[in-house]
Order: sequence, then C-alpha cells, then structure tokens
Amino acid sequence: MTVTDTLPAPGPNARKPEPIVRVRDAYRDYPMGKETVHALRGVSLEIAPCDNVAIVGPSGCGKSTLLNLMGVVDRPSRGQVLIEGRDAGAMRDREATEFRLRHIGFVFQRFYLMAMLTARENVELPMAEAGVASAERAARARELLDYVGLGARERHRPGELSGGEQQRVAIARALANRPALLLADEPTGELDVRTGAEIIDLFRRLNRDGTAVVVVTHDAELAAAAWRTIHMRDGQIVSQPAR
Amino acid sequence: MLSRWGLVAPLICLGAPAIGGAQANQAATRNQTSIAIDERLADDAHLRVGDRVVLSAAPGVGVAGRGDTAVIAAITKQDADPSEVARDDYGIRLHLGDLQRLTGDPDRVHRFAIRTVGGPATDSVRARINDAAFGFHAYRSADVAVGTSRTFQVVSRFHRAIALITIVASGIFLLCILLLRVEERRRDIAALRLMGISRRSVVWSIVLEAALISLVGSALGTGLGWLGSVLINWHYRGVYRTPLAFALVTSHIVLVAVVLAIVLGVGAGYLASTRLVRTPPLTLFGR
Ligand SMILES: Nc1ncnc2c1ncn2[C@@H]1O[C@H](COP(=O)(O)OP(=O)(O)OP(=O)(O)O)[C@@H](O)[C@H]1O
Ligand SMILES: [Mg+2]
Repeated sequence: MTVTDTLPAPGPNARKPEPIVRVRDAYRDYPMGKETVHALRGVSLEIAPCDNVAIVGPSGCGKSTLLNLMGVVDRPSRGQVLIEGRDAGAMRDREATEFRLRHIGFVFQRFYLMAMLTARENVELPMAEAGVASAERAARARELLDYVGLGARERHRPGELSGGEQQRVAIARALANRPALLLADEPTGELDVRTGAEIIDLFRRLNRDGTAVVVVTHDAELAAAAWRTIHMRDGQIVSQPAR
Repeated sequence: MLSRWGLVAPLICLGAPAIGGAQANQAATRNQTSIAIDERLADDAHLRVGDRVVLSAAPGVGVAGRGDTAVIAAITKQDADPSEVARDDYGIRLHLGDLQRLTGDPDRVHRFAIRTVGGPATDSVRARINDAAFGFHAYRSADVAVGTSRTFQVVSRFHRAIALITIVASGIFLLCILLLRVEERRRDIAALRLMGISRRSVVWSIVLEAALISLVGSALGTGLGWLGSVLINWHYRGVYRTPLAFALVTSHIVLVAVVLAIVLGVGAGYLASTRLVRTPPLTLFGR
C-alpha cells in the first residue's frame, strides 16, 4: 500500500535530492511593548525528502516558532524559508492556506479532532476541502485508518477513542492529502509511555514509506527514534548533524 | 327570521325541578312552555332534556309553588366569547312570548337577533327594520362585535407585545449562546486553519451549524409552545367551562419565531466565525 506516495523512493543511483525545507538565516522577533522577544536568532537548516528530524531544546528556546515557520503558519522577521522551493514569507494568506492543505501535514499535541465527526469523517475533512470526490475520499480515509491501525474504528467519534487512538486518527488526517512534509509539535505530550511508543513507531513507518517527518519534542524516546536530532538554545541551533 | 329563542333573562328565577302531578297535568293542558338552558346550569343542577322546572320572574316565588312550569327542550353550549368567560351566572333561553308573559312586560324587547343568510340580504333586512321599527336600530353583528371587543383587542395587543419581548429576549439569549459556542471552539478553528481549511469553509460550516441549531431550537420551541397552549386551554376551559381558546400558537407567531431564530442564529454564527477566522491561528491557539 502506498499511503505516502508523493515522492518516489530514492533509487540506487539517486543523487542527493533537493531539500524540501530550506531555512536560511531566519529570525523571528516578537515586539512586546518596548521590549522585543527574539524567538529565533539566525537559524539555518535543511530538511531532505524522507528526512526524519527531531528538534529538541529547553522550553522557550524557539522550537515551535521554527516549526511554525516551516509550516507556513508564520513568517520570519528576517531571512528566508523555502518549502518545496517556494518562499513561505512571500505567500499571501490564502496561498499559504492552500499550500498547507496540499503540502504539509500538521499533528498537534492536543489532537484537535472535530468532536461531532467520526474518525473517518475527520480524516476526510482536508480531502473535502481539497475537492476530492466523496467516493475517493472515503476509500482513502479507510486506507489511512487501516494504516494507523484503526480500520475497525472508522465510525467512532473522538470521544469514544483513547488519547493514543485519537492521535493516530489525527496523524491519518494529516496524511490525507499526501503531504511531503509532516510537522508534529509535541505529538506524544498528552500520551503515556506505551501509547507514545505506538506513535513513535507510526512516525518511523511513515517516514520509511516516504514522508519527511519533523517533530518538536521533549520526549527522549521520540527524539531518539529520529535519524537526526537538532538541538536548540536561545533561538539558535547549537548542534545539527549533517543529513 | 326572528331567532328561535328570546334573550337570556338573568332575572328569571328557577324553581325546584321536581314538580308534583297536579301541576304537571295543568302544564300539559296548556301550551307547554319549553326552554333551553346552558350546559353549566344543566351540570350543576343535574338537569336533562325533558325535565320540568318552574320559572318565575321574582326570586323565591318559584319555590313557593307559583310561576310557570317549563320543559327543558334543549341544552346549549357556551359560546367561545371572551366577554362571557368571567360570568358565572346561568343563561336560560325562552320563546319571546313566554318571556314576555313571565316578566309581565308584553310587547317589550330590549334587543333581539336575526340570523340572515348573509350577503346583501343582511343589509336589506337592516334597512327594512330601521325604516319600519321606530326607536330600533339594527346593527350588523360584526359592528357590534368590534364595539364590545375593543377591550379584548387592547389586552390582545398587550399579549402580543409580551410575546414579542419574550421572543426577542430569547433571541438575544440564543445569540449569546451561539457566540459562546463559537468562542469555545477557537482552538478547533485554529487547528482547522493550520490544516489548510480556508476561512470561507470555516465560516460556512459554523453558519450552517448555527442555522441548524436555530431551526431545531425553534421547532422544539414551537412544539413546547403548542404543548403549553394545550395544557393552558385544558386547564382554563375546565375552570371557566367555556370552549374559548386561552392560548393560541398561530402560524404567524411560529413564522416570526422561526425567522427570528434563524436570522439571529445565522447572524451570530457569521459574526463570531468571521471574527475568529480573521485572527491569526497562532493567536487563537493562545500564544
Ligand atoms: N506570539 C508571541 N508573542 C510573543 N512572544 C512569543 C510568541 N510566541 C512565542 N514567543 C516567545 O518566543 C520564545 C520561543 O517560543 P516557542 O514557543 O518557540 O518555544 P518552545 O521552544 O516551543 O517552548 P516549549 O518547549 O515550552 O514549547 C519564547 O520566549 C516565547 O515566549
Ligand atoms: Mg513549543
């Protein structure tokens, strides 16, 4: 099954692929009255297709801020953020929304599933927004729920699912429009160790199947499961293994 | 055609219904007086059609054995007339001649009603009475009704004002609830926006939900109102023994309520959701 079939798997002679994320000397300042909070101070990094990156660091060091820049939710105050070759800072709101819908999957700490919708309907939501026909939507939603191990729960509403199961539905939803990049901010933050481990497994599988995964986390296990760990402190990257 | 029964005579006293044989024979030899009594009287005095009673124009006289014996020929139902509701006296209807004989006032009537077939006949009858009967004036019942129902119109206007205030107040209540409901979902909306759901889709879905809530709410409200009116009517019809409807759920009221609910609901949904989607999603997340 090819759930994440946006990109071809690199063949034996493949050259080093173009990065899907390229952050160049990015700053993000928040003016707070007379003061300015420097959330990011000159961050540069690249994320390759099929990359699996964990961003770690103390609270307030700018991890979420960086993730938001990569997710085209926020713009750098200075510097450049290119996602799949497109300048995130230059996109208008409507373009950015459309871009997020089709190219980026978001996973949040608190799942944010729609309570009135069933698991399958939640997964279908981004596809409906993208204009996918309903039969195709339903089929893909089932396929994705199978992929995250919840095929039997498609008719259940979030209230009838455990935290771990809800997070898996949220991941299925994030994959709905076959994004090349999956961004997750503390995806195991609300889960116990065992369910957290299931999510870690799922990310790993997803990444093997061709999606670039970037997680921001305080969870050592989740960080250890990534191929690369980027360490941040005070709005800067302090160590970053080569990709 | 003169109405079958003369006017209601409140001054008439009703004697004991049980009548001795001599009197009964005497009554039978005469042209029998037949009367109609109203339902409440029939109930309270346990009278039925065919029973004989003694009628007298002066209090106490009937009981003493004098007065006219009459047979109950009919039992009439109360009209659904608001001016009759609070009256707890009984109505008895007599043939005009019997009434005149009983009161000792021959050739005297204060009022009488004529039933016509309607249409132009009414006007021609009126014209003829007004020409022929000196000292009489014939009115259309509708004109009389306008005069006598003025008080009720005022009361009814008050009721309408109260109903309108209630509806507007509950509409504002609905507005607040919907605003709160949308406000409660700011994080959900933020997540949707981050996922790439457009502002338009978010607003549309909230407006649709608000319209649905308003529609279901007003349907429930109408049902509840209807049930309330049934109970109120059941209760007061029993208390006042009248077929009058005390509470009405009219199509007009339902229409006003439903339209108001939907307009307010959709308006509130639209306002709240447009305000939220204009806020950057990260701000909605509480950052
Ligand atoms: N909207 C904002 N306005 C002002 N300051 C902000 C805003 N967003 C973030 N900051 C500040 O920027 C800095 C980095 O915040 P960020 O959320 O990226 O930290 P983080 O590394 O994700 O922390 P945590 O691990 O606690 O989630 C913090 O000092 C924070 O207070
Ligand atoms: Mg954070």
